[in-house]
Amino acid sequence: MNPHANMIIMSSLILGPMITITSSHWVMAWVGLEINMLAIIPLTGQTTTTHEQFEASIKYFLTQAAASSLLLFSIINNVWNTGQFDITQPTNTLSSTMMTAALTMKLGLAPFHYWLPETLQGTTTMMTLILTTWQKLAPLTLLMMINQSLNTSLLVTLSLLSMMIGGWGGLNQTQLRKIMAFSSIAHLGWMTMILTLSTKLTLLTFYTYITLTTTMLLTIKLLETNKMSTAMTSWTKSPMLNATMMLNLMSLAGLPPLTGFMPKWLILQELTKNHMTIIAATSAILSLLSLFFYIRIAYYSTITLPPNMTNYSQQWRHKNQQKPYLPLMIITSSMLTPIMPTFMMIL
Amino acid sequence: MTPLHLSYFMAFIISMTGFMLHRTSLISTLLCLEAMMLSLFIATSLCPIQLQTTSFMLNPMLILTFSACEASLGLSLLVASSRTHNPNNLQNLNLLQC
Repeated sequence: MNPHANMIIMSSLILGPMITITSSHWVMAWVGLEINMLAIIPLTGQTTTTHEQFEASIKYFLTQAAASSLLLFSIINNVWNTGQFDITQPTNTLSSTMMTAALTMKLGLAPFHYWLPETLQGTTTMMTLILTTWQKLAPLTLLMMINQSLNTSLLVTLSLLSMMIGGWGGLNQTQLRKIMAFSSIAHLGWMTMILTLSTKLTLLTFYTYITLTTTMLLTIKLLETNKMSTAMTSWTKSPMLNATMMLNLMSLAGLPPLTGFMPKWLILQELTKNHMTIIAATSAILSLLSLFFYIRIAYYSTITLPPNMTNYSQQWRHKNQQKPYLPLMIITSSMLTPIMPTFMMIL
Repeated sequence: MTPLHLSYFMAFIISMTGFMLHRTSLISTLLCLEAMMLSLFIATSLCPIQLQTTSFMLNPMLILTFSACEASLGLSLLVASSRTHNPNNLQNLNLLQC
C-alpha cells in the first residue's frame, strides 16, 4: 500500500480507540468509533483481486455501520430523556439496552456474531490480528464505563449464549482463522459475564485474551498455515513453534497452570461470591466445547509426528521470517499464573 | 412520548428495517444507512426544543460529517467490487460460509 496512505490509516487506527477511551462525552466516544471504522475498512479490503476479501470487508462495513448508527440512536434517545451527554451518569433503560445491543454488535458477541467468522476468514492474517485484538478495545471500554446502568440478566444471557455459540460453532471448522473467530466469541462471552460485577476482571480477561490471541495468530502467520491440513505438516518449518503452539492452545482453552486459566478461575470465584453458582458451573462446562477444538488442532499438529504420518502432502518451505517479540509473547501466554496477585493489585 | 420524539424514533426504526431487509442490491442498503443518519441528524438538530436551551450545538455538524465519510466509504467499496466483479453483487456474498 502507498506509504502515505498507510501512515494516515495507521495513525487513525490508533487514534480512534484512544479518543473513545479518554472521552466523557458520548458524541466523542461515537466519533472515536467512527474514526476507527473509517481507518480499518481500507485495510481489510486492500486487494479486490479475490472476491473473498471484498466480501469480508463489505460484511464488516455493514455490521459496524449499523452498530454505530444504533449506538448514536441510543445516545440521542438518552439525551432526549435525561438531557445530558455524560458517559458516567446513569442512562435510562431503553437507551442502555440499545447501547448494549450496539456495542455487542461491534464486538461480535452472540446473537450478533454472524459476521465475525466470515470476516476474519476473508482478510489477511495481520488484519485478523488487528480485528480480534485492537478493535475490541473501544467497545469493551464503553461497556465498562456504563456498567452500572446495564441489565445484569441481559448481559449474563448474552455471555452464556456467546459461550455456547463459540463452543458449538467452532466444532465443525477446519479453517484456523474461523476457529480463532469462534474462540474470540467465547472469550468475549467470559468477559461480559463478569462486566456488571467487577470490571477489573473484565480487563484482566481482556489483556490475557489479547496476549493469547496475538501469540496464536503470529504463530499461524509464521507457519503460513490457514487450514488444519497445512497445520498438520507445518512442524517441519519450525519444530519449536509447533511445541509452543500446543502450549498456547492449551492456554486459550483455560487449562491450569497456564495463563489462560487465571481469568477463568477468578471469574468463577467472583460469580460464586455473588451466589450465581449455577451460572458459574454452566460456563465452566461450556468451556469444554472450545477445549475440544483446541485440543484437536494441538493433536493433529504436534502430537501426531513421524513415523505416524498424516495423509497430507508436505509443503514448500519458504525463507523463515522472524518475529523477535514472539518468544516473549509465548512466555507471557504460558507462565503468568503464579504472579496472579500482582495483576489483582495492579488492575 | 411526544409526537416529535416519536417521529424521529419511527424514522430511524423504519430505515433500520430497510437496512436489514435488503435483497437485490447493495445500493439500497447504503441508502437506508444514509436515511438512518439523516433521522439522527434531525434528532440532534431538534434537541434544543426538548432541552429548552438556545445554545449553539456543534453536534449535528459532527454527525453529518461522519455520516458523509461513512457513506462515501461504503460507496467506494461498492464501486471497487463492481468494476472487477459482478455488478449485481449481493446474491454472490456467500463464498465464505461455514
